[in-house]
Amino acid sequence: MVNPGYKNFKGEDWVDPTPPPAHLPLVDEVGSTGAPLKSASFFIGTLCKEYNEDFMLCKNENRNPEHCLLEGRKVTRCAIDALQKIQSKCQDEFRAHWKCLDGKNQDLGRCRNPEKGLNECLFTAFGWKKDLPGAPTNKPQIHERTPLTS
Amino acid sequence: MSDSAVPGQDMPPKGGFSSIRYERRLPKRGPSGVAMFAICGAVMGYGWYRLYLGLDERRELEREKIWSRIHLTPMLLAETDRDEYRRNHAAVEREREIMKDIPGWEAGKGVYNGNRYMPMVIANVPLHQRPGFKKE
Repeated sequence: MVNPGYKNFKGEDWVDPTPPPAHLPLVDEVGSTGAPLKSASFFIGTLCKEYNEDFMLCKNENRNPEHCLLEGRKVTRCAIDALQKIQSKCQDEFRAHWKCLDGKNQDLGRCRNPEKGLNECLFTAFGWKKDLPGAPTNKPQIHERTPLTS
Repeated sequence: MSDSAVPGQDMPPKGGFSSIRYERRLPKRGPSGVAMFAICGAVMGYGWYRLYLGLDERRELEREKIWSRIHLTPMLLAETDRDEYRRNHAAVEREREIMKDIPGWEAGKGVYNGNRYMPMVIANVPLHQRPGFKKE
């Protein structure tokens, strides 16, 4: 059922089709949906740590979107680079993991088996390791434990 | 009536009455109180231990979820910032085009006195600035 207030609402009427201004350098957008991003998030986070922190410090200076466009482009290029690296070596494992996340309400705790394959593949290919900041050090991290319930 | 002068008196049997068992003698059933207390404590202790494991797992899952979002935030924010800048820029250009005949008009001038950035509250889209546009 359509909400009466939105009966004649057309989404395309609200989109501004103007292209970006010409003085800005072109940058590809990531163009990925949520599940692959969530699957790759820890590796994006470790690979692009400097760019991300630089960008967030810049945003802390000034919330104007114009102020941090340069840092933002670096962040986006780094994220695209990380995703392409993952797909170059571990495409099948990556696909299995984000398909699982898509089917399990993006719950990382219910996709441990595909995640294990992805983490092993990335470790052998690039030496990347998933690390949770601030986790207790006297026991294994949550993605290395056996879940209490499946 | 009897002839005897001394009436016969009821006396205990020779050697006295045998002793009466007046205390309860129930058969012994089940574990002792200390044992029940200990079993109860053990069961509850195991339950508390399992509860601790569950809470610990839940806290770590939450930490994992939050950090996966923290790692993605700069990327998503950068993307949104580029789009917001593009739309604001286009809106200012449209405003300049519409108000070009009015002398002294500053296109894109904020309504606030300060320099702090305030995001646009009302969506500024080209459709609403077309002449003759009427919202249904």
